[in-house]
Amino acid sequence: MAFRLRLIIAILVAKAIMWLVRLLGRGKGSSLPGMVALKICPGILGCLARQASRGVVMVTGTNGKTTTNNMIARVVREAGYRVVVNAEGANLITGVTTAFLKAASLSGRVDCDYALLEVDEASFPRVTRQVYPNIVVITNFFRDQLDRYGELDKTISLIREALVQLPGTGLVLNADDPLVAPLATSTGKEAFYYGLGEHHQVASFSAAAREGRFCPHCGRELFYAYYHYSQLGNYRCPGCGFSRPLADVEGTEVSQGDHRITCRLRSPAGSHELVIPVPGLYNLYNGLAAFSAGLSLGVEPGVIIGALAGYTPATGRMERFLYRDKPVLLNLVKNPTGFNEGLGALLSLPGPVDVLIAINDNDADGRDISWLWDVDFEVLEEHHHRLNSLVCTGQRGAEMAVRLKYAGVPLDKVVVENMHRAVEHVLNGSGNTAYLLATYTALWPLERILSGYAKRESRVESLPSVS
Amino acid sequence: MLKVCHLYPDLLNLYGDRGNVMAYVRRCQWRGIEVEVHRINLGDPVDFREMDFLFLGGGSDREQNLMAKDLENRRELLQAAVEDGLVVLAICGGYQLLGKYYRTLEGHVIPGLGLLDFYTEAGRERMIGNVVVELEIEGENVRVTGFENHAGRTFLGQISPLGRVLVGYGNNGEDGTEGARYKNVFCSYLHGPLLPKNPRLTDHLISLALMRRGLPAELAPLDDRLERVAAEVMLKRLLE
Repeated sequence: MAFRLRLIIAILVAKAIMWLVRLLGRGKGSSLPGMVALKICPGILGCLARQASRGVVMVTGTNGKTTTNNMIARVVREAGYRVVVNAEGANLITGVTTAFLKAASLSGRVDCDYALLEVDEASFPRVTRQVYPNIVVITNFFRDQLDRYGELDKTISLIREALVQLPGTGLVLNADDPLVAPLATSTGKEAFYYGLGEHHQVASFSAAAREGRFCPHCGRELFYAYYHYSQLGNYRCPGCGFSRPLADVEGTEVSQGDHRITCRLRSPAGSHELVIPVPGLYNLYNGLAAFSAGLSLGVEPGVIIGALAGYTPATGRMERFLYRDKPVLLNLVKNPTGFNEGLGALLSLPGPVDVLIAINDNDADGRDISWLWDVDFEVLEEHHHRLNSLVCTGQRGAEMAVRLKYAGVPLDKVVVENMHRAVEHVLNGSGNTAYLLATYTALWPLERILSGYAKRESRVESLPSVS
Repeated sequence: MLKVCHLYPDLLNLYGDRGNVMAYVRRCQWRGIEVEVHRINLGDPVDFREMDFLFLGGGSDREQNLMAKDLENRRELLQAAVEDGLVVLAICGGYQLLGKYYRTLEGHVIPGLGLLDFYTEAGRERMIGNVVVELEIEGENVRVTGFENHAGRTFLGQISPLGRVLVGYGNNGEDGTEGARYKNVFCSYLHGPLLPKNPRLTDHLISLALMRRGLPAELAPLDDRLERVAAEVMLKRLLE
């Protein structure tokens, strides 16, 4: 009875906070209600999550969690199920709890078939102590905000230990990531693998941010038949024989263009044409992960393909605006791999482009910004004639400008401005496109300023908050 | 022509430390000093005495163990070069490795290369955050900024620190020292990376290398306004 009472009080208080936050228009309230509810009733998350009648899918990993989870949510909704989803990128235990609180009735009932949760890598053990996932999707492991998480090896081993505690949980794993793929064997679990086969865009570049180039088993340097980006590719250890597992879902014949990426898909359900309406190889990976999760849940492949073709990105995930007739693209960056991919997408645009880079160093961004030196800004040196201006802003905008200087970008193209003037600068630049890259806490003020000038092309109903 | 040796660039690439090599190279090139970068990985042959600037960064535990084993085989060559005045910058894990030993929390002693007189002990809490250090370059006090992230606490023997901590932990969080200096070897816990953020120090390391070769060490001034603005932002935030 005591638990029931605490539960009801926690829900009432949380709902009151959500209402207040909305009323005051301060932030989006995607973490605070959960934080308070967990204080009042520590077991609340488990109690609410158990009510998802068909189960829980979790997405974790370094990059692509929000996009992959939102894609899965779209697939599952399209298949006719009711879902709870933390669509707003609030992926700590507080954000996950808030997602359930929003869906809960005042008596603590959650009426849904599936809960689709993106979970921060470091929070994964804590969340899975309360919520049992039927399926865990792991996207990739790249270096991300080391000052918060310690080293990558440690993060992976914590996830491995947490998985071992989850009997019967199925895994959906990225076969192309040598840091992700071994998690099936090392936890003794069934896994469904997805990956990209060889295609004409396969790269030999990206030597810089490669994270997993040494065999996770024996430490020998991995041999690669080809790379897609970073350490993702077809790898084999010459020492112990560890190699890329055969992918159950495999994409080939990749082609990019006009703000979308497509591939031919081979899976146990047959052969299909997959269209993802956002650019970037990393978004194709997110699509493959979502397709695999959909298949694992028994959704018809035709339904999955249709749902993914209609995907609209969340805020800061290659969001499109229009300023007068000029396309404006806004993209979140949080680690070297994601930033390199963002630069790749930038250079695939028809030039000239005005670029804005906003770097903050709050906790949610990572207080240590030295990772900017692991980003290959050197590609901008060779392509600088296609860049009209590079405007640096945010708390560490000046240091971003220093990075560009040492990357060899002509100094007369580099500007340091406050955020408002920086936005005006890129919007009014003479380039064909304005391309904005921002770290987490710089994204929201930037988005707000931008909305005052430019029209959003892809409308999202709710915006993430800073957690 | 200056020869820059980047040790284990593929292995040690945490925290953007490769930026130190970029800054050294660019600041030479901008002045018309020719530079040749030698990227030395595990097992690659290298004669340290022929090098002019050597950079050694840090990595995760696994990578650091691989590096320590490889470097042990090169100990004597490296020691000879250091005594001969080779300019070295060692950061974080690379710094710790040059000392006498590293004692883990369990009391296990891992021997270092023993080139410099200091030792390191693991601590329970990591020391993480922004740092301001004051150091002396050619008789002038210079404030440098950076970011530290280390569990090891380093204690210096008969050897000078690189500088004095104004904000942050430094070597051990106790004695106010940061880094170490011996002959032309500079050690520091500062990521950031250190050199691009602090051009005065970079130029000093270039001058020392030129002097060792008997070349004119006077450097043409460069436009460092961006670096100054960036440093001011952090000095203002941290010192006020």
